[in-house]
Amino acid sequence: CNNSVHFYIFSCSFSGELLDPCGYIKPESPIVQLGSNFTAVCVLKEKCMDYFHVNANYIFWKTNHVTIPKEQYTIINKTASSVTFTDISLLNIQLTCNIRTFGQIDQNVYGIRIISGCKKKMMCQWDPGRETYLETNFTLKSEWATEKFADCKTKRDTPTSCTVDYSPVYFVNIEVWVEAENALGKVTSDHINFDPVDKVKPSPPHNLSVSNSEELSSILKLTWINSSIQGFIGLKYNIQYRTRDASTWSQIPPEDTASTRYSFTVQDLKPFTEYVFRIRCMKEDGKGFWSDWSEEASGITYEDRPSKAPSFWYKIEPSHTHGYRSVQLIWKTLPPFEANGKILDYEVTLTRWKSRLQNYTVNDTKWTVNITNDRYIATLTARNLVGKSNAAVLTIPAYDFQATRPVTDLKAFPKDNMLWVEWTAPNESVNKYILEWCVLSDKAPCIQDWQQEDGTVHRTYLRGNLAESKCYLITVTPVYADGPGSTESIKAYLKQAPPSKGPTVRTKKVGKNEAVLEWDQLPVDVQNGFIRNYTIFYRTIIGNETAVNVDSSHTEYTLSSLTSDTLYMVRMAAYTDEGGKDGPEFTFTTPKFAQGEIEAIVVPVCLAFLLTTLLGVLFCFNKRDLIKKHIWPNVPDPSKSHIAQWSPHTPPRHNFNSKDQMYSDGNFTDVSVVEIEAANDKKPFPEDLKSLDLFKKEKISTEGHSSGIGGSSCMSSSRPSISSSDENESAQNTSGTVQYSTVVHSGYRHQVPSVQVFSRSESTQPLLDSEERPEDLQLVDNIDSSVGNLPRQQYFKQNCSQHETSPDISHFERSKQVSSVNEEDFVRLKQQISDISQPYGSGQMKMFQEISVADAFGPRTEGQVERFETVGMEAAIDEGMPKSYLPQTVRRGGYMPQ
Amino acid sequence: MDLRAGDSWGMLACLCAVLWHLPAVPALNRTGDPGPGPSIQKTYDLTRYLEHQLRSLAGTYLNYLGPPFNEPDFNPPRLGAETLPRATVNLDVWRSLNDKLRLTQNYEAYSHLLCYLRGLNRQAATAELRRSLAHFCTSLQGLLGSIAGVMAALGYPLPQPLPGTEPTWAPGPAHSDFLQKMDDFWLLKELQTWLWRSAKDFNRLKKKMQPPAAAVTLHLEAHGF
Repeated sequence: CNNSVHFYIFSCSFSGELLDPCGYIKPESPIVQLGSNFTAVCVLKEKCMDYFHVNANYIFWKTNHVTIPKEQYTIINKTASSVTFTDISLLNIQLTCNIRTFGQIDQNVYGIRIISGCKKKMMCQWDPGRETYLETNFTLKSEWATEKFADCKTKRDTPTSCTVDYSPVYFVNIEVWVEAENALGKVTSDHINFDPVDKVKPSPPHNLSVSNSEELSSILKLTWINSSIQGFIGLKYNIQYRTRDASTWSQIPPEDTASTRYSFTVQDLKPFTEYVFRIRCMKEDGKGFWSDWSEEASGITYEDRPSKAPSFWYKIEPSHTHGYRSVQLIWKTLPPFEANGKILDYEVTLTRWKSRLQNYTVNDTKWTVNITNDRYIATLTARNLVGKSNAAVLTIPAYDFQATRPVTDLKAFPKDNMLWVEWTAPNESVNKYILEWCVLSDKAPCIQDWQQEDGTVHRTYLRGNLAESKCYLITVTPVYADGPGSTESIKAYLKQAPPSKGPTVRTKKVGKNEAVLEWDQLPVDVQNGFIRNYTIFYRTIIGNETAVNVDSSHTEYTLSSLTSDTLYMVRMAAYTDEGGKDGPEFTFTTPKFAQGEIEAIVVPVCLAFLLTTLLGVLFCFNKRDLIKKHIWPNVPDPSKSHIAQWSPHTPPRHNFNSKDQMYSDGNFTDVSVVEIEAANDKKPFPEDLKSLDLFKKEKISTEGHSSGIGGSSCMSSSRPSISSSDENESAQNTSGTVQYSTVVHSGYRHQVPSVQVFSRSESTQPLLDSEERPEDLQLVDNIDSSVGNLPRQQYFKQNCSQHETSPDISHFERSKQVSSVNEEDFVRLKQQISDISQPYGSGQMKMFQEISVADAFGPRTEGQVERFETVGMEAAIDEGMPKSYLPQTVRRGGYMPQ
Repeated sequence: MDLRAGDSWGMLACLCAVLWHLPAVPALNRTGDPGPGPSIQKTYDLTRYLEHQLRSLAGTYLNYLGPPFNEPDFNPPRLGAETLPRATVNLDVWRSLNDKLRLTQNYEAYSHLLCYLRGLNRQAATAELRRSLAHFCTSLQGLLGSIAGVMAALGYPLPQPLPGTEPTWAPGPAHSDFLQKMDDFWLLKELQTWLWRSAKDFNRLKKKMQPPAAAVTLHLEAHGF
């Protein structure tokens, strides 16, 4: 059915008096293809414009007396305005051009009628039969008994069908056949004879519109315009409808639409619901073909009063006011199929026990009120344009009400992507159940959602946007006539997933062969499901991995049979029903020894050592005489020698004094100070100056020290200068001379002396009798180690004090040694010094880098301090004059140098 | 022998059954006419279809003629249209018409009207109008054939065409353009009245023919037109 639109012009007869139209519409009779755009132009005549004082801006268009929106107009010039229709469908309308004159009087200018129609076309098709492999022309022939019609030649691309040029005449049988002709000849098909009206496929009904009824919210009335064919044949219809969001169509029983009609009222619809309709038609007797479906049209049924009371619940919050409770009444908006319209507001009533009812109107879905601790009854109704819903009644029990009678066997399980909750009802009749749920999380608080179920329900699913791998805490509360019962809760997942993080395992205790592992329970946010078990994987670097399954209730596990002193890598996986996730790897090393093992080894070893040492000591103690004989040779005691008797002072007294003094007041008795830094230029002995030239030249300004007799100087090991035992022995052999070591060399301030000479004293002082005074010799022998250590056996108490500026500590330690010597010793020293200086003269003395003078303190008598001062003579560098040090021994109490 | 006689009877019965069912075979039923009933019904439908067609054609054509012919209440005197067959008739006369006369009057009237209409078509200015008129003429031709078919089905002879061949719509030189339009107007108007009347005629015939006559008159084509 190739539709085209025909325009038929009729004059502006409805304008009555205007015989001469005020303008005209172009085109007057166009043929426009369906679905294309069409533009009509209205041109005003000059005299009319003058008469009404109008121009093209005043033109407005109407279709069937309805003004076309201005957006479709275009003002071409002062006299012409056009209107454009896009996508022209089947139309049967008047199109008029009008002007609005002064005084708002609408004046019709011109009108055309757009008559919709479907141009009948007949198409015949056939089976071409066997392939001929020759160019074959097919011709469709048709005729009446009285008249032949024009042949229909097939087009090359459609050799099996042909559409005739003429419009077939209905209700007159026509006879058609096909002639096929090629080079080999012509064949004719069977003739078929039929009434074209029995083969008709009508145009679909158009302008389908839907209207509702305020009286009945369950009906919608459809109206449409039939195809023009209904003017002479009866039609039957198919009407289909669906709600806006549905995908499948429902159909009105065909027997209800089996005859020609222009409207139909669809019943049993839901209130305040949008429905979409479509319609098609065919010849009433079922001959022919169904038309295409019409364009869809939709309409909304009228509102009805809400069919159900809203879900109603409450929450009690502690109130600041004593004796009052803050109750938040909450309710759910009704779903559209229960609201049956736009809910305008809610009416809440609150009745305290045996007192007057209070009415409130609320627009929100929650309402907070302070109530006393008494029992209250709250009701809720929803109101829309038409009426009010039934009331939802809720008993808020008194403050001290004890909830009982919970549901039992509460279960929650996912099914079909929904979280189902199932329970066993209590024995008592339940008004309704309240299900509350929230996501358990450590990060966010539990924000509760809820829903209400009827008292007969014992299985439902949670109607909310549930997320997967979230732990939901579901609570079921039965609500009885006298108030809510006690609640039951359960945790559930809509869909579990493997944990998003594995547990972090660590060691609590590591032993030689075992390790105690511990871990924390996974936070609920990462669990993503119920943790069913853990698996611990551990391995050494080279070894295979071992897995141990641990029940989910544990947070500790002991790995046993480990190898000692081995690095272990351990990690842990937590498993939900959907899978597991490894945690981070943890390494630990088992110790080589178990705890206490080292002690077990070390303590006996130490004890054994101690024992051995003790035994050694005991042995030494027992055999000390023998050892002594081996180690300390007998040295004669000089004090018991006869020569000692010769000394001016009586040695026993001296000895006694010396020892007594030393131990009673050792802080200064032993001091032997040789101070060289403070050059005493004014006191040089002239004869000594020469001998000390070398010192001056070599700029040795440091102190030269000499300790006392027998090499008790601080110059110890490195300079075995003075009194080795050999020397002593030799000195002993040399009667009349006492061998002293008196020369100390030192590089002052890093200046290395060019010559180191230790010269043996030429003194002929007789050696002390070693047998008489063995202690003295002992001191000499142990010169290196005896400094300050063995004072009891020393004749010379040595005290070494470090010179601050000298880098060569050892020299000064020794040079500053303070010795306590007896007077004889001191005398001998002085003699020695003079002996040295006198025979050698200046030349000899150059060999000395330093003269150490032992300051010997004689025994102090009667509180007197004997002090020997060695005055170093400093060689002044600037003057270039050699200076020598001359020990000046000052003895208080009348000592005189020899 | 008895057995042989039984066989003969059986074969005869079989043959009869085959013959009885022959009309039901589509290939044989092609030209078969079940009787005047369906033809009358069809003719009635056709008159209504033509009436429907004429409504839109007349609208177009009257618009083409222009005012005042396209005004709904335009009712000019019937001048110069006496040659057109009148459809209006006294109701009693119409009721007393017998089937043959009724059909004959229809046939004759449409024969004339068709001739006039063809004349009209020749004068039509626009191609679209000419196409509509041509289609209407074809349909009217179909109606004539349909009436002839009914008449043939009922066994009535077709009225002989008037000597001097078909009537012509030959306006005299005296005819002004306006009077010519008046004639056109009256032609369409008379055609419409005839279609209304024919609808009634065939409706009456239809009712009269129920139940349809058992006797079948075949060979519609054999009679020709």
